[in-house]
Amino acid sequence: MTWSPAPERVKLWDPLVRGFHWLLASLVIVAWLLGKFGPSVMTLHFWCGYAVIALLVVRLVWGFVGPRSVRFQDFLYSPKAIAAYAKHLFRRQPSYWPGHNPLGGLSVFAMLAALLWQVGTGLISDPEDYINVGPLANDVGSELAVKAVGWHHTGSTLILILVALHVAMILFYAFWKRENLIKPMIDGWKLVIRRGKVGSN
Amino acid sequence: MRTLIIAAVLTVLPFSASAKDDPKKEAVEAREGYFTLLGANMGPLAAMAKGEMDYDEAKASLHAANIEALTMYDPLIHFIEGTSLDDMDDTEARPEIWSNFKDFSSKYEDLQKAAAGAAQAVKGGRGNLGPVVKKLGGACKSCHDEYREK
Repeated sequence: MTWSPAPERVKLWDPLVRGFHWLLASLVIVAWLLGKFGPSVMTLHFWCGYAVIALLVVRLVWGFVGPRSVRFQDFLYSPKAIAAYAKHLFRRQPSYWPGHNPLGGLSVFAMLAALLWQVGTGLISDPEDYINVGPLANDVGSELAVKAVGWHHTGSTLILILVALHVAMILFYAFWKRENLIKPMIDGWKLVIRRGKVGSN
Repeated sequence: MRTLIIAAVLTVLPFSASAKDDPKKEAVEAREGYFTLLGANMGPLAAMAKGEMDYDEAKASLHAANIEALTMYDPLIHFIEGTSLDDMDDTEARPEIWSNFKDFSSKYEDLQKAAAGAAQAVKGGRGNLGPVVKKLGGACKSCHDEYREK
């Protein structure tokens, strides 16, 4: 198939967002495993959580002031645009999308929201074991603090689902659509086609 | 007069008795009371270990002795059949307690082991408190993880 215009190789992901991505992925995996299988004194799980908070703050700021492809505005699409993208999702060809595609963007927002939920409920959790009490648990009252443990637990399941979906989609793009999305997240370079999206060049 | 009082008491008694009428409710109240007592003694120990409260050897040893004494008691008698969260509203006791009662009992034995000697072990400075609180808290956690609804 010939493309018009032809795909061009561009530096799509800046070093900060790539570092953010892989650090976040590692920390979330470690925190998740520690939460499920780790030692009963969860100090390391707590530190993972604090590091995730720092990363989320950086990403939220970067979403407003970072390069174009990482800005929230760039991957916040209308339901119509999302539906249009989803309609052609199963075409066996690369998307050449210059950034987060409409569906991928949705998943970024979902993951950020889930992680904010997770750090929020973690900070206020009181599992009543006197050793793993969230640093803000005393500030919200014990009733809410005990409930937050359940919310934190639900959040961990939600994150597992979102991460599994994310990995499944990466594999789907690699093997069905023959588009490698992993390498661009490592070295930043991706083959893209800039279509006539409103506001693009 | 006395007959009148007795008559009055006997008339009112059936209405005033709450949990006593219902052994299941009584069981839930009894075990919750037990955990409240444990918590009331764990709280200050944890606060001292974290430095949120000044270390006081006598106080620490007293709370630890209370926990030791409490773990001499057998609260498992209050986990009677038909008192899981599937059966009642005001409990967080998972039904798994009754399907794995042996394991549930062993979790309690772990707490007893963690508490043994605590009153002595917490003496001699704040540094000695941390390991005891970690052992006790670990026993709380491992049972909550499995058997308490989140």
